[in-house]
Amino acid sequence: MARESSIDSILLVDCGTVMTKVVLLDRVGGRYRFVARGEALTTSEYPWSDVTSGIRHAAEQIAQVTGRVFFDTAGDLLSAEQRGADVLTATVSASPPLEVVLGGLVRDLSVASAERAAAGTYSRVKAIIASDGSGGLTEEERVSTIHKATPDVICIAGGLENGAERPVLEIVASAALACSLMDEGARPRLLYVGNSQLRQKVAEVVKGHVELRVADNVRPTLTEENLLNAQEELDGFYRQNKMVQLSGMDALEAWSPTPLTPTARAFSRTVQYLWHLGDSSRGVLGVDVGAAHTTIAAAFDGHPFLTIRGNLGIAFGGERLLQEQGVETLTRWIPEPVTEDEILGTLINKELYPASIPQESRELWLEQALVREAIRGTLEVARPGWKPGVAQTYPHLLPLCDTIIISGGVLVNTPRPGQTALMVLDALQPIGVSTLVLDKYGLASALGSVAAVKPLAAVETLDSGGFVNLATVVSPVGRARPGDTILRVKMTYDDGSGFSVEVQYGNIEVLPLLPGQQAILELRPTKRHRFDVGLGGPGKGGKRRVNGGLAGLIIDARGRPLRLASEPEERQVQARQWLWDVGG
Amino acid sequence: MNYLCETQVAPLVNVRRERILPASGEVLVRLGERVDPTQVVAQANIPGDFRVLPVAHLLGVSDSKIKGYMRVNVGDEVRRGQIIAKRGSRVVKSPMAGVLASRGGGRVLVEAPPMPFELRAYIQGTVTNVLQNRGVVIETTGAVVQGVWGAGGESFGVLKKLVKSPDRPLRARDIDPSCHGSIVIGGSGLNKAVIERAQELQVRGIVTGGLPPELISQVRRSPIPVVATEGIGTISMSEPFFQLLTTNDGREASISGQVKSRWGIVRPEIIIALPAESLPPTQSQPGTPLTVGVRVRAVRAPYLGQVGTVVTLVEHPRHIETDARVRGAEVDLGQASPIFIPLVNLEILR
Repeated sequence: MARESSIDSILLVDCGTVMTKVVLLDRVGGRYRFVARGEALTTSEYPWSDVTSGIRHAAEQIAQVTGRVFFDTAGDLLSAEQRGADVLTATVSASPPLEVVLGGLVRDLSVASAERAAAGTYSRVKAIIASDGSGGLTEEERVSTIHKATPDVICIAGGLENGAERPVLEIVASAALACSLMDEGARPRLLYVGNSQLRQKVAEVVKGHVELRVADNVRPTLTEENLLNAQEELDGFYRQNKMVQLSGMDALEAWSPTPLTPTARAFSRTVQYLWHLGDSSRGVLGVDVGAAHTTIAAAFDGHPFLTIRGNLGIAFGGERLLQEQGVETLTRWIPEPVTEDEILGTLINKELYPASIPQESRELWLEQALVREAIRGTLEVARPGWKPGVAQTYPHLLPLCDTIIISGGVLVNTPRPGQTALMVLDALQPIGVSTLVLDKYGLASALGSVAAVKPLAAVETLDSGGFVNLATVVSPVGRARPGDTILRVKMTYDDGSGFSVEVQYGNIEVLPLLPGQQAILELRPTKRHRFDVGLGGPGKGGKRRVNGGLAGLIIDARGRPLRLASEPEERQVQARQWLWDVGG
Repeated sequence: MNYLCETQVAPLVNVRRERILPASGEVLVRLGERVDPTQVVAQANIPGDFRVLPVAHLLGVSDSKIKGYMRVNVGDEVRRGQIIAKRGSRVVKSPMAGVLASRGGGRVLVEAPPMPFELRAYIQGTVTNVLQNRGVVIETTGAVVQGVWGAGGESFGVLKKLVKSPDRPLRARDIDPSCHGSIVIGGSGLNKAVIERAQELQVRGIVTGGLPPELISQVRRSPIPVVATEGIGTISMSEPFFQLLTTNDGREASISGQVKSRWGIVRPEIIIALPAESLPPTQSQPGTPLTVGVRVRAVRAPYLGQVGTVVTLVEHPRHIETDARVRGAEVDLGQASPIFIPLVNLEILR
């Protein structure tokens, strides 16, 4: 690797479940800039069976644009002296997830916390063992559940600090017994994240049966949650045992001067960095919908929160979602009638060809419905773990977010930008004034990984237009009857021109504001309804300087939480109208 | 250059299949041995069921005290109903025959005897590698047809064509007693009655173009391997697949409905072992980029399952029906003019 001071060109690799992306950054005019990008199928399976083939295929596309070659004829990475790149960093989400069995005392407390800890890395929860409620199992059932699940890790939470002992130790004993039934080489590890005072006793119970790791209690008190240490341990398991499992990962590791980073972890770093640039009283959110995972990274009060829903992406997990939540979960977002069988067939065919894209509108609407539900499902897991501070103005709604980063091919490559905006608005339901930012070139996670090698490159690339503004969104909170005027809006462009509009409850208004354009936006909630537009509380208005975007300036006056019509036909009319409002 | 997904529909190629035990066991064949599809090539003992007995609780003693009341040692075999521990009138009996596997924390664990597992050759061929205690590699020459969706396990039987053309659905009345023990070849789809009739007549496998979505759960429960060559829906079987299968009508074939979509992809398939002195030269190597003249199949509606030849690799993105701008190729699907199809919606047929 070149010394940090002499790094000019950087290749950023992201090995996704389906697609491998390669981005070239280089110093242009003394500043790091995004130069080009290539994308190819991930090649961990036959006929290639080597992830580095996909990297070379994607890099070939950059070579076609720039004339620069990054690999020699033997497939090895060329150094900068050989006109390759100074450095390569890589993020990975293609590897199989960490398989986890979670145990704990109370399903809605310690077990829920352990679940959120597991969601901080690429994991799949194969079974949950809770002592309370209907989840209460006999010892034999607990042992059998763990034994059948054959997890990589058993993560046991439970017991507030100075709290219950016996029930926690019973679960630990069941885990030890289940492990004793497995071949020694195939035994999982046990991560204990419960009452810290029991650590010694836990060690005695599991001695000789299973390798024990301990981390801070994820639920030290009824109201407090402490996931960081447990997440680090689980993330470590994933990096050591799963991430490097794919063929070719050893070569990729050798090319990179820094350890390979889980894509979601790098994405989270970028979101955290962006929080430092903005209004510290509000949060920053990042949403990444991939083929197999959906990630929500948040930053509030400087703290990062990362949630990954495995097996819930645009290609994988749709069939299970349909089975678990029913067909209406998806049809409610689709603007035309569609049968359950048609949906099932389309979802399975997509899983068979995960890189494929819809060519017909019906399939596009279905895919976009799945995106909404993937984000919503991930948000449900994420939100209880957040500590948003003053950004949380309404307990049942999303905290105030300054910026929302949107990443993932299905979101950034929509036929029309309004469709992306609508998916995000429907799924996240932001409040107040937010800026939707499109990670058009897939830089968000890549820059999170390059920050470890050359922080300046990450900063300057972001500054030089690495992201594209999608829209500024105003989402008033309050109650009114559909059609009531709730907000008066005046927009004044920098050249002095402008206009005013009245916004009715239930509608989406899109005002023209192009990318690169700025304007002064004046918001005046009507006195009768006193809606909260995020400018100081209910009924308070004010002025804000806003940026334009591909989808303009959107005022989402449909209310929070969003209410969909109860009848299918009415919902289809609603969905068509909203789609029309944002540009089709 | 563009690299696409690939599916094999090959009349004569070298076929190599790894056969691996689910647990460490014993390999029963030797290197170089000729094997038949139903021949057991390796076997293993799979751990059986188990029971956890809370002995301390049942005897009314503390966890550390049960040792003195035990009548059976760890590692001993036990019969169903045999007394394991006794304290006065309180007894703990084994709920099943097995082995007392472990003791600790006031309870004991009884494991049922392991269940034997037999691994069959699946294809006719020669053992070219023996993986000690794990399995074997078997090689042969023959035709390979890869499906895209499947269910059920593996089987072996005679191929039997039951439809006249690939766009015709398979009907229950097409399956008569002569289909017993055979792998039946359908066309565009099938219905519930076909599955029931096939089970009744002990058909060994079903090959169809598309599988209607409403049948998925029924097919997954059925013991008969089912392979869909195109996907889910009513979809005509692609011409090259239908032709290759029907050319081999009456020949013995192996069928697998197993499918795994990630991390060690497994595709459903039909393999017809055919003797060959030498293999025909391959037109293109697996994993090579898409070029003009290559045979491809469309994998999304509205052209799902249609096969054609690449006429032009279009340099710049174009709009498709959804208004998305994508890179693609013009493909001759036998229509009046070539059709522009996104590259990601094409796969190469090898």
